[in-house]
Amino acid sequence: MLNLFPGQPSRRDFLKTGAALTSGLVVAFTLPTGFAKLAFAQDAKAPNLDFSSAALPNAFIKISPDNSIRLIINKLEMGQGVNTSLAQLIAEELECEWERISCESAPVAPVYNATFMPTQMAGGSSSVTSSWDQLRTVGAMAREMLIAAAAEKWGVPAKEIRAENGAVHHPKKGSLSYGELADAAARQTPPSPIPLKDPKQFKIIGKSVKRVDAADKSNGKAIFSSDVKVPDMLYAVIARPPFGATLQGFDEKAAKKISGLKEIVKIGGEKVAFVASNSWAAMKARDAAKVQWKLSDDPLLSQDGLKKIFMETLEKPGTPVKTVGKPAEALQKAKRTLDATYEFPYLAHACMEPMNCTVAFDGKKAHIWAGHQMPTADRMAASKVLGLPPENIEVTTTYAGGSFGRRANKDSDFVIEASTLAKKFKKPVQVIWTREDDTRGGYYRPMTMHRVKAGVDARGRVSGWDHKIVGQGVMVGSVFAANIDKTGIDPTSIEGVDNTPYAIPDFQLQLQLMKTPVTTLWWRSVGHTHTAYVMETFIDELAAAAQKDPLKYRKEMIPKSPRHQAVLDLLAKESDWGKKMPAGRALGLAVHESFNSVVGHVVEVSLNGTDVKVHKIVSAVHCGTVVNPKGAQAQVESAIVYGLSACLYGDLTLEKGQVKQGNFHDYQVVRMPEMPIIEVYFVPSKDAPTGLGEPGLPPLAPAIANAIFKLNGKRVRTQPFSKGLV
Amino acid sequence: MAAYDLSINGKIVRVETEADMPVLWAVRDLVGLTGTKYSCGMALCGACTILVDGEPLRSCVTTVSAVAGRKITTIEGLEGKIGSAVQTAWQDLSVPQCGYCQSGQILAATALLTQKPKPTDQDIDTAMAGNICRCGTYADIRRAIHKAADLVKRS
Repeated sequence: MLNLFPGQPSRRDFLKTGAALTSGLVVAFTLPTGFAKLAFAQDAKAPNLDFSSAALPNAFIKISPDNSIRLIINKLEMGQGVNTSLAQLIAEELECEWERISCESAPVAPVYNATFMPTQMAGGSSSVTSSWDQLRTVGAMAREMLIAAAAEKWGVPAKEIRAENGAVHHPKKGSLSYGELADAAARQTPPSPIPLKDPKQFKIIGKSVKRVDAADKSNGKAIFSSDVKVPDMLYAVIARPPFGATLQGFDEKAAKKISGLKEIVKIGGEKVAFVASNSWAAMKARDAAKVQWKLSDDPLLSQDGLKKIFMETLEKPGTPVKTVGKPAEALQKAKRTLDATYEFPYLAHACMEPMNCTVAFDGKKAHIWAGHQMPTADRMAASKVLGLPPENIEVTTTYAGGSFGRRANKDSDFVIEASTLAKKFKKPVQVIWTREDDTRGGYYRPMTMHRVKAGVDARGRVSGWDHKIVGQGVMVGSVFAANIDKTGIDPTSIEGVDNTPYAIPDFQLQLQLMKTPVTTLWWRSVGHTHTAYVMETFIDELAAAAQKDPLKYRKEMIPKSPRHQAVLDLLAKESDWGKKMPAGRALGLAVHESFNSVVGHVVEVSLNGTDVKVHKIVSAVHCGTVVNPKGAQAQVESAIVYGLSACLYGDLTLEKGQVKQGNFHDYQVVRMPEMPIIEVYFVPSKDAPTGLGEPGLPPLAPAIANAIFKLNGKRVRTQPFSKGLV
Repeated sequence: MAAYDLSINGKIVRVETEADMPVLWAVRDLVGLTGTKYSCGMALCGACTILVDGEPLRSCVTTVSAVAGRKITTIEGLEGKIGSAVQTAWQDLSVPQCGYCQSGQILAATALLTQKPKPTDQDIDTAMAGNICRCGTYADIRRAIHKAADLVKRS
């Protein structure tokens, strides 16, 4: 069996069903990466694990007679560089020239399913790690099929033939290009088992090859889903209610005066669609309509009530998640106890490309264009709206202008809206969200609170740890909501605490899941966005109480993880940890494991009143084999900047269900002048790759907080810092 | 509704629209050039940046009537020594991640290098502060601007 998730202690959670993998069944899967259980109606036979079939390489590799090679990429390219890194995996074993490769986005088909679940998805920092064996095997199979085709044509044994640089070579028979052999190769049966290259022979993996999409993203040619143009297309913007609100009315007459407006349509959920011949007219018509809402009085939908109810809940016992030893006793015996309450706000994904989707439907067939992380599930949602079997729906996964989880929507919200309108008009419809729609449209990183009480003994060791988390899960509305209601545990709310590597002998974790009308979703690194902050700032407090250096303290507290040790050692070395800092500057440290990778940051910070300035970040990363060093560095930088915006400024506040923030002036994000200097160091490793899209984010905010403490003696427990430092 | 003759990337294109339609929508929906992007609609993010007579403008708040008779350059029409050097540097350094902001970044960078052939990091901060990147490619953008300056100098 392939090792799809190296570093996982056991495979027991993988693929619970075997014989049940037939069409039409709802199948439950636990993702070993720490994702909650997800259910998908399965519209395919067995998932993509059958490597004896020739269908596999043929689905991923298209070779033209002129020897140019198209690689079919089955994961959304949302910035993380998968169309390059996954292509590298195939190209390495295929033995072709990198310069002759172009990449295309895969349609929806069972052969493109993720290797760990019977659906297509990109997310959870899983693309490279879960494709590592599969795509190298795909490349190797194709190589062997080309060799077999040449062996047949030349009448020589396959073992006398060598594949290199897009051609096969025989000492006596000469050479043939892949292009000349492609047709014959497609008909060969791949051998079994498939020999994969020794990593010492890698020519492409481990190299910083240029991104395959760098040119098109630098000359305006790259097509994002909002760029899709279909003849006869209508454009729609939708007035969506504030949370808990109902539609009161709108000025239809004023809207209809706007030239270009075609129709105003009420669609489900109190929404009103303004459909026009261009998106400007649609936006103007909606503005002119001045849609009125009857707002909700639910205390959970106004900031004061929300905070009050969460705080009250924090005081009460919750669902027990994990108990080790005797935490209550240990706390009693402690020489000193520390008690801290943490607050984290709702956060928007705020992708550069606001949400949008285009759907065309003629009554019998349909076509969806979107930059989606979960195209199979989105197609299923559309099929229900359109009343079509999924096979009659073609899906084009375009580039996405950022996603960070927003375009992996278990409710398929953006697809259902466009499908609904396409069905009504029987014309292609593109639903465009404005920036305000996008900021206010929900599916946020949940507001969350933590309370931690921990003790230290006379020798500065942890003596008892009592941890409570209050917040919404992100699986509400999914098929597993019922099960989570029963157990009271959403794994994404506790990840990073329940599996902490810190040696805490007496430990207790409780969770209280909250339900509010505000929609929530995974947001780059999910539960780790808040759990890492709590763990890494609290550990720092304990280090101070024990009068120990924070880095040394962590090394002592994580004795059993060589990866954490390696990251901490690399950090110590490259940041020159412990050096004397100039006045007004301090270094802060944090280390956290998420998505199977371990990342640590040392940040250099200064403070100007409540303004936090991050000057420099030194990062150490253990992510196994690095497929593309430049791309990997880019992902760590990306996660850092994304996390920096959130901890400095990110804050969505509610007033009667209305989100007050709307655009980049009141939902501020980091810009060029604030960009710190970032140095990224990778722990050399021959392990299979582990996740990298998200792991750079969680340790950033706590590292900054730990530096702030050195500057002003204050422990910041509220995010964003702009609020927490006041 | 009126007809406007717009000079876009060296060609005259006639569009029929209201005077207050911003150039962004004219260029994307009426002319079909989708390289220029909508992201905020309020000139806060820079994704819609075009060059008008060489100056960077936010096309989401610049009306069609305001640019009639002026030379518009969108990403699709970027040419010349500086523009080409910027695009080359962008590709050589694999600057784009999701890529959605990069048309705006490239045009803003081209305008900067046209004004200042050898910009300092401070110049870059000032000139590029209006262009947001949610993927965080700022370090690569800075490196690419310095590289482009070098390429122009050596050409």
